[in-house]
Amino acid sequence: MWLHLNFNFGFNSSFVSKSLKKLPLTVAGLAFIAGINTVNANQDGLGPKITIPESSGESCILPSAEMRRQHPDLLKHDRIQTLREGVRAKADGGKLDGSLKQCVNCHAIKDASSKFVRIDNDQHFCVSCHKYAAVSIDCFQCHRDIPEGDGEFHALTNHKGINYSNIVPGTSSLTIKDMANIAPEVISDDN
Amino acid sequence: MTINIENEKKGAMTTTNVESSRRNFIFGSVAAAGLTVAPGMMLYQTANARSQSEKATSKVRWGMLVDTTKDVDWNKCVDACNNEHGLGNEHKSRDDQKTQYIRVVDVKNKGTGYSISLPVMCQHCEKPPCVDVCPTGASMKRPDGIVLVDRHRCIGCRYCMMACPYKARSFVHEVLSDQKENTPRGKGCVESCNMCVNRIDNGQEPACVEASDGAIIFGDLNNPESPISKILAKHGGKQIRADLKLNPGVHYQGI
Ligand code: SF4
Ligand code: SF4
Repeated sequence: MWLHLNFNFGFNSSFVSKSLKKLPLTVAGLAFIAGINTVNANQDGLGPKITIPESSGESCILPSAEMRRQHPDLLKHDRIQTLREGVRAKADGGKLDGSLKQCVNCHAIKDASSKFVRIDNDQHFCVSCHKYAAVSIDCFQCHRDIPEGDGEFHALTNHKGINYSNIVPGTSSLTIKDMANIAPEVISDDN
Repeated sequence: MTINIENEKKGAMTTTNVESSRRNFIFGSVAAAGLTVAPGMMLYQTANARSQSEKATSKVRWGMLVDTTKDVDWNKCVDACNNEHGLGNEHKSRDDQKTQYIRVVDVKNKGTGYSISLPVMCQHCEKPPCVDVCPTGASMKRPDGIVLVDRHRCIGCRYCMMACPYKARSFVHEVLSDQKENTPRGKGCVESCNMCVNRIDNGQEPACVEASDGAIIFGDLNNPESPISKILAKHGGKQIRADLKLNPGVHYQGI
């Protein structure tokens, strides 16, 4: 999102100053995604908070660190093989089918009133990271953003809402410093 | 047993819902025997069944046979379709802009007063012009004959809408939310009946077939032993505008 604002220099000066203030954080966000462990811990309290829902401990078709890097490639399975070729095999030989529908069903987040949060909500599993990294997601212009049913056929989250205590005990939001601490989990850029 | 009743129907044809002449639309009729099928019953077994991990192949050609002589409210099929695919979630579009996968076309002979009503969905042409004209490869035909739009590639140019002689396609004019899990659809893409490809791959019949009380039969046109092929072989069927030589996968009786 901020990347986009940065392109608006000629049009809105207040955006410019805001953008410039946020620029280092944007870079930090991208650095996180790219696996470069150089997040500036001095910027505690500034900028967006990343929201990571509590995990139930079950893992997806790949370990978390690999999922973070490779989920776009994995989704190509459905984009090409399933839609165009008709292959509907389950990715793990049974439970998971590697589709965006599956992602949404496992990773759906409920708010305080026990309703699934939609794509316009920062707590939405996909939005939380993508917003932080300023990478827009177009998937949900067409794809459904929440489960149709209870969405718990493979619960990676506990559907209780956002809770970061698994990462930083006793906290409800993560700072850049917290992020710096978990960033090393991300495997390094292979491109 | 094919009975040509063309003579009974001579005279000016008028259509409601579609503006073009239907003179070529009606070119004879077939007396259909009473082939009652329990709703939801699986009428298609394929000799070439594939597992979910196999690609769709051209050994199978999916098709449908619509019996317009049955006293069926086709709107039930339209409702089932809308429900299956989550259609009707446009709130800002004009009625004539809203997506429809099935149109109910009423055809009347002014001379005799004889009228029929038939559901017209994408005819799943063997040689689909919508695929020929698509500049991006979004409009595509699966090897098993199902024609659909890959929305990942559709740029919304609407060439395919112009090319389709059956007026089968719709364009989504507004931002959508609350789509169905199995039918992603959104603004800026063209869409049409996909023969409920998600259901077919799951071993189910299309939603309209299930809702039709046996008036629409679904199956493999390539397999001579499939019920649809047997009925077509015995009682015949017509394709709409067969003169265009697109060889649609949807056949009709009673038109
Ligand atoms: S009926 Fe129209 S949309 Fe369907 S395959 Fe034929 S040309 Fe394409
Ligand atoms: S509207 Fe989409 S599917 Fe139709 S011709 Fe254009 S790109 Fe192809």
